[in-house]
Amino acid sequence: MRTVRLFAVRPLVLVLIVVLLALVACAPGAAPTPTPQPPTPTKAPPKPTPTEAPAEPTATKPAEPEKRTQNLEGETITLYHFGDISGPYAAITTPLVDGFNDAVAWLNEQGGIRGAKVEVVWADDGGNIEEAISIYNRFRTSDPKPLILIIYGSPELEALRERFVEDQIVTLTAGVSGEGLYVNSGWAFGWVPIYSDQFGLFVDWLVENWADVKPPQAGDEIKLGFVTWDTAYGRAASTDEAIEYAKSKGVEVVGVEFIELSPTADTTTALLNMQAAGANVIYTNTLAFGPANILKDATALGLREQMLFAGNNWAMDLATLALAGPENMESFYSLMPYLWWDEDHPGIEIIKEQFEKNQRPPQERNIAYLASFAIVDAARQVLERAIDDVGYDALDGQAVYNAITTMGEIQALDGVLRLEYDETRRAPNRARVAVTQGGKFVPVTDWLVTPDLRPQK
Amino acid sequence: MALRVAGDFDTSYARDMATLRQPWHWWALLGFLAVLALLPQVAGSYLLGILNTIAITVITVQGLNILTGYAGQISLGQAAFMTVGGYISALLVSRLGLSFFVALPLAGLGAGLVGLAFGLPSLRVKGFYLAMATLAAQFIIPWFVRNAYRDVLNGAQGLVVPVPELAGVRFDTPNSYFYITLAVVCISTYVAHNIGRSRLGRALIAIRDNDLAAEVLGINPFKYKLQAFFISAFYAGVAGALWAHYTRHINSETFDLIDSVWFLGMVVIGGLGTSNGPIFGAVFVRLLREAVVLLSPALGRLFPALEANILAALGPIVFGTALMLFLIFEPHGLAHRWQVLKAAWRLRPFAH
Repeated sequence: MRTVRLFAVRPLVLVLIVVLLALVACAPGAAPTPTPQPPTPTKAPPKPTPTEAPAEPTATKPAEPEKRTQNLEGETITLYHFGDISGPYAAITTPLVDGFNDAVAWLNEQGGIRGAKVEVVWADDGGNIEEAISIYNRFRTSDPKPLILIIYGSPELEALRERFVEDQIVTLTAGVSGEGLYVNSGWAFGWVPIYSDQFGLFVDWLVENWADVKPPQAGDEIKLGFVTWDTAYGRAASTDEAIEYAKSKGVEVVGVEFIELSPTADTTTALLNMQAAGANVIYTNTLAFGPANILKDATALGLREQMLFAGNNWAMDLATLALAGPENMESFYSLMPYLWWDEDHPGIEIIKEQFEKNQRPPQERNIAYLASFAIVDAARQVLERAIDDVGYDALDGQAVYNAITTMGEIQALDGVLRLEYDETRRAPNRARVAVTQGGKFVPVTDWLVTPDLRPQK
Repeated sequence: MALRVAGDFDTSYARDMATLRQPWHWWALLGFLAVLALLPQVAGSYLLGILNTIAITVITVQGLNILTGYAGQISLGQAAFMTVGGYISALLVSRLGLSFFVALPLAGLGAGLVGLAFGLPSLRVKGFYLAMATLAAQFIIPWFVRNAYRDVLNGAQGLVVPVPELAGVRFDTPNSYFYITLAVVCISTYVAHNIGRSRLGRALIAIRDNDLAAEVLGINPFKYKLQAFFISAFYAGVAGALWAHYTRHINSETFDLIDSVWFLGMVVIGGLGTSNGPIFGAVFVRLLREAVVLLSPALGRLFPALEANILAALGPIVFGTALMLFLIFEPHGLAHRWQVLKAAWRLRPFAH
């Protein structure tokens, strides 16, 4: 049997000619690519200031159309959100969909955004970045282009951050890796402080309160170890900046141990290594089954008398409580950059009312539902500010960006979430420290300001 | 089954081996490529984004098809070799200032060499044991890029990858990037198709069918298996580099074990050991995923009370069920179904 020469000349030349033609076709001006956008967002247009009367009358100048800022009945504003609903983080993210839907329904009952009806479009990327990019491409080409996009994951943020800038789409993200918000980024804004800032705030609090909160066999010096997932998210708190900050506060960081990103992960070895290294504080940048497995194994190993356990804000949630059990989660510390379900607050009351009205199941009464409900209200405030600035008809990404970076503190639902951004700060910097007591999450501090531990690259 | 139209005879060796046998074949191919080349001018970035993803997937699955489909060596490390290619290209472009178009083949070369190392166990083990050996790549390589040379590889956060540029043109949108993926997938398809018909391909098939008999015939199994591993990883490296520059970011999580499993699934769905199987497999799986992503919120609007709980899981359920049914009813892959359809078309109106 004859075989072909691997590189027969004629067909290859033909294919190369076609490819060459195709490349020529994409020369500048041919492809309908969007106009490249400046990577650095521009400042808000200066507000008109009173000026002296013009020297000469300008009677022939046509009158500018009046800005529409109120009574937008008949108009529609769409909020887009996508992320991992059915993938590895499903334990915590699934209620996001209901939280968004209920918040939008409530918002429309209140009159929408200046009378404009609010709609919501969502998609599930299952934790798959290829899907996330595809969904983003679909959303960004929507007509009209999204004014605000909401995402949940650090991987999505890191993969798409440059595109948000190029496409001028303001993005509110629950995934707050410092890398994703501050390196080659600019139009993405976090719901909560970045993970290294949260860790820094925990260190501040721990140093001041160690004598009161240390476990009985922990010793006087704080020796902290990280037990976390070996992923970008898992490592987002144990950055060089965060570790240096801990050292500067007199906290010895004895090491970082990694555990499997799996609901059935065995953390025994990691915990015993930490014990051998002398750790008396374990910090984890994981969520749901991550802290649950650590706490269960620590209890089984009898380490709770020697070590204090803590994690980032997502670690303290119903999913962790359900997976670890209230007895294992007792005395687990976390950052809490929002109000919680048990607090007496008008914003929380609204969320609880809507939760019951829509007959949501008890297991959805978690951080995802609460935060997504509140972030819709934050989006409303930003859009209303942008409408005030430029009018509804001139509303675009730049106007939304200008609004979010200049409007100061955004108190979503009167303070359930407290957000504040500017051109250099893309995540809030306030949180409380909370502890688990009897199956409830109880704040033990007032609102504190986090240190600024963003990536210094 | 290869049915030809009446009068299509082999009058020379060259004609015997021709893939495109009729003038209209050439016109159809050129027309198809012309349509693809014009597509970025008329289609939106959503469609082009899907096509980019499909094209990149096709390239890596073509590589795996050479290793698994032709040579019969199961590999669960294809995604890891994509990681290698992505990192090499990112570093060559961002650190050394090389052009993306120079870095792309070098990324393939680097991944190919790493693939050679993980192919060494193929001399001693086969089947499931080889699958386990190649699985090691999926753990070692991500661990390496997370923990080694952190000042260069940037640990778990990974690298920001520059946008490809050529003669002042930035390929920074799905539309413009499609020209790159189209060019590469054309070349990779051409080479993969001919590998299957070359001496190398025949040797790989002989090893797959009976390695002992192949050795008796004078084929050196170790040499050819390593060649297959190299080519497979080369393809993966090129695909990884394409993906990294498309998304502009790469880290150790970009390509994970589940991707390797799916690549294997695409080879099976498309048709093992067929040149068009990887295209069918990649297109089918990617489009099915896209359909599921679109379907879930739409069903959620129909059943709002179930939206967050059941419908969030609907995607994986529909996806898994479709694949299971497909494998039951078309176990030889879509390439086989394509052959059956072509034969039926040729034989019309006589079915038998």
